[in-house]
Amino acid sequence: MNAAAPTESPARAAIVDIQHGLATSGYIASDAIATVLYLARALSKPVLVEGPPGVGKTELANAAAKLIDKPLIRLQCYEGLDESRALYEWKYGKQLLYTQVLKEKLGDLMAGAQGLKESIARLHEFDDTFFNEEFLEPRPLLKALWAEHGAVLLIDEIDKSDQEFEAFLLELLSDYQISIPEIGTVRAKHPPLVFLTSNNTREIGDALKRRCLHLYIPFPDYKLEQRIIESRVPELEARLRTQLVSFVQGLRGLDLKKVPAVSETIDWARTLVLMHANELDTQLVRQTLNVLLKFQDDIENVDAEIPALTRTANKS
Amino acid sequence: MTQALTHFIKALRAADVRVSTAESIEAAATLETVGFGERTLLKTALSQVLAKSLDDKARFDECFEAYFSSRALDGERTPRAAADDPDAEADSTPDGLAAEGAGGGGSGGGGSGEDSLLALLERGDGASLQQRLAQAAFNVQLQNIRLFTQRGMYIRRMLEDMGIEQVEELLYQLIKRDDDDPRAERLREAKARLSEDVAAHVDQQMLLYTANAGRQLREEILQKTPLARVEMRDFKVMHELVRKLAKRLVALHARRRAVARRGRLDVRHTIRRNIEYDGLLFDTVWKRVRVDRPKVVAVCDVSGSVAQVARFLLMFLYSVSEVIPKVRSFAFSNYLGEVTELFETQPVETAVTETINRWGMGATDYGGALAELERLTLDDIDHRTTVLILGDARSNYSDPGERALRRIHERARRVLWLNPEPHQLWNTGDSEMRKLAAACDRVEPCRSLRHLERVISEIARTAV
Repeated sequence: MNAAAPTESPARAAIVDIQHGLATSGYIASDAIATVLYLARALSKPVLVEGPPGVGKTELANAAAKLIDKPLIRLQCYEGLDESRALYEWKYGKQLLYTQVLKEKLGDLMAGAQGLKESIARLHEFDDTFFNEEFLEPRPLLKALWAEHGAVLLIDEIDKSDQEFEAFLLELLSDYQISIPEIGTVRAKHPPLVFLTSNNTREIGDALKRRCLHLYIPFPDYKLEQRIIESRVPELEARLRTQLVSFVQGLRGLDLKKVPAVSETIDWARTLVLMHANELDTQLVRQTLNVLLKFQDDIENVDAEIPALTRTANKS
Repeated sequence: MTQALTHFIKALRAADVRVSTAESIEAAATLETVGFGERTLLKTALSQVLAKSLDDKARFDECFEAYFSSRALDGERTPRAAADDPDAEADSTPDGLAAEGAGGGGSGGGGSGEDSLLALLERGDGASLQQRLAQAAFNVQLQNIRLFTQRGMYIRRMLEDMGIEQVEELLYQLIKRDDDDPRAERLREAKARLSEDVAAHVDQQMLLYTANAGRQLREEILQKTPLARVEMRDFKVMHELVRKLAKRLVALHARRRAVARRGRLDVRHTIRRNIEYDGLLFDTVWKRVRVDRPKVVAVCDVSGSVAQVARFLLMFLYSVSEVIPKVRSFAFSNYLGEVTELFETQPVETAVTETINRWGMGATDYGGALAELERLTLDDIDHRTTVLILGDARSNYSDPGERALRRIHERARRVLWLNPEPHQLWNTGDSEMRKLAAACDRVEPCRSLRHLERVISEIARTAV
C-alpha cells in the first residue's frame, strides 16, 4: 500500500504481491497483515491473530485460502471442545457392526484350530483390524494434516477453548504432526498454513504464543477503512463514503460499551445504499444507528452527539 | 548481524518483553528473509516474531526506535544511511573481535591499525569517528551497563578505548608550549565534542538496558522484606506485586474448573465394560467431568498489632476475590464484619482503607469474632470450603474461641491459619496459637510476599 522503497527488496516485492492478491478477493490488507502472511509462509509458522471483534480476523484466513488456492478447514473452538471433536474419532458404529458380522465368520476362521491357545494365536493375526485408518473419522485437525495438497487451517476463537486443548495443540503447531495412540504419529504431507484467532477473553498461554507469529489487527485508520468500504460496497458513492467513514471514526472516539467494528461499518454502508441515501443527516443517522451500535445504552448515550458528529463528518 | 540482534533482544528483555531462545532464533531467520534494507518492514516483521501481546508490542516499538536510532547520532548521515546502519554495524563485528584481541595484546586499544583517533579528530571525519565509537562500545561491552553510577566509568573506558590518551598527551604538550596555539584550540574543541557524543551514546544505552533494572531490583527486595517493615511509599509497587502474585496463582490452579459435559455416551468405555455381556450394549457409561467449585472463606485480623501486615493481606484477599468467584471475606478486631460486598464494589485502595477504618483499631477479641464467624458462615461451609484465617492469635488474655473454630473445622474441607509473627514468638504472652492450632489443619508463618506465595500456592493446589 505504501509507495515502494527506491531499492525494493525481494521481501517487499513479495509482500506487495500478497497485498494485491488479497485485494482481488476483496480483502484490503495493511502492511502488517501482508507481512505476517509472508513470514508465515517463509518460516512455515502458525499465526496467532488478535484484535477486537469484527476487524476481519476470520476473514483473513478465508482470503488467505483463496490467495494460495488451498481449501480452508475450519475448527470453531468452544468450552469443552475435546480431541474427539477436533482431531479424530473412531467409527464406533461401524466397528460394532463389523464385530457382529464377523462373529458369524468366527466359526469358519477357527475351524481346525486345536485348543484355546491356537485359537488365540490365530486371532492375534487379525489384531489391528478395528483400529486402523479405515475406522478413523477425521476431524478438522486431522483433515488438515491429511490434505493432499496442503490446506489453510483456521482455529477460530482459541480463547473460548479450555487450557487443556491449548496444550494439546502444541504438538501440531510446532511440528505439524499429531500422535494418535492406536496408530502412531501422523505427520503432515504439506504443512498447512495455520491461523489461530483470539478475542482475548482469556490470556493465551505463553507456550502457545511462543510457537506462533503474533498479529494484532487494530481498528483500521481512516484511509484503510475507506479502501475497505470501497472494495466491499462499491455501489456507495465516494462522497457519502468519506462522510460515513469519518462518522464511524468519530464514533470510535466516544466512550461506548461496544465500539462499531469494520463489519458494522460495512453493514451500515449497505444499509445506506439500500435506503438510497446521498448525504448523511441527523435524521438518517438516528434511523439507522442500530446497525452500528448493538446496545440500547450506547444508542441513547450517543444520541446527543449525533448532530456534532454528522456535522464534522459532512465537512470532511 | 547476529550481534546487533542479540543486543537488541537484550534491550527488549530489559524492557520486560519476554523473549525465549526459540524466538531469538526465529528473529534471526526473519532477518535473513526480510533483510535490513527497509526499516518499517523490519520493524513490523520483528514485532510479529518477538512481541506477543499488545503491551509487548508497545514496548517493542519504543525499544526499536531507541535502539536503531541510536546508530544515527551523527548529523552528517542521512536518514537513509541510518536505516542501513545495522548493516554497517554487522560488517564491523568481525573487526570488533579482532580489535578486542589486539587490545588484549597490550596496545591499549586505540591508535593501532589505520588512522589514530588524533588524525580522525583533526580531520573531523565524522563517519569514521562514529564507527570508532560503536567499536569502542562493543569493546567495553557497554550493553552490560546496569546502574546509573557506572555511567562515568563507561564513558572514560570508551574514550580510552578509542585512544583519547594520545590526544590528551599531545594537547598537554601543545598547551605547555604555547597557550593560544590554534591547533590546540581546535583539538580541544573536537575532543569536547567527542566526549559529548560518547556521553550521549552511553546515556542512550543506559536508557535501553536499565529502564527496568531498578524496578526489578526493588521488586526482588520487596518480596523478601517482612510485610511489617514495608514503607508507605512502596505500597504501589507492593500492590502490583500482590496482584501479579494472585493472578499467577489463580491462573496456575484454575485448570480443574472444567465444565461438566452432560449426557454424552462414552462409547469406548461402554464397549469395554459390556464385553462380559457378550458385546450387547447393556450397561452404558456416560462421559462426565467433575466440576470443582472451590469456596473460600477468608478472615483477616485488622487490629493494631497486625495493622501493617493486614493491609497487604487485605490487598491479597482483594486480588484473590477478583479472580476466584466464590470468596467471602471478613475482617475483625473487636467486632467481625463481612467485607465481601465492599471488595466487590470498591477499588482496592478505598476498600482496604475502609475496612481498616471500620473494623480496625479495636482490641482483638478472637472469641467473639470466631463465634460471630460461626454464626454467619457455618451453614455455608461444606466439604468444598477452605477457611483461611490471617492473624497473630493474640487475644488479650480473653477466650481465644477455639471451640467455635473447632466446629467450623469439622465442617470445612480445611482450615488454614497464617500468622505474620515469626515462629519464635508464637505462644508467648497472650498468643494463643497453640490452642487455636489444634483446630486448624495447618498453621504457617506468613511474613513476606515469598511466604504468602508459597502458602497460597499450596492451598490452591489442593483446594482451589
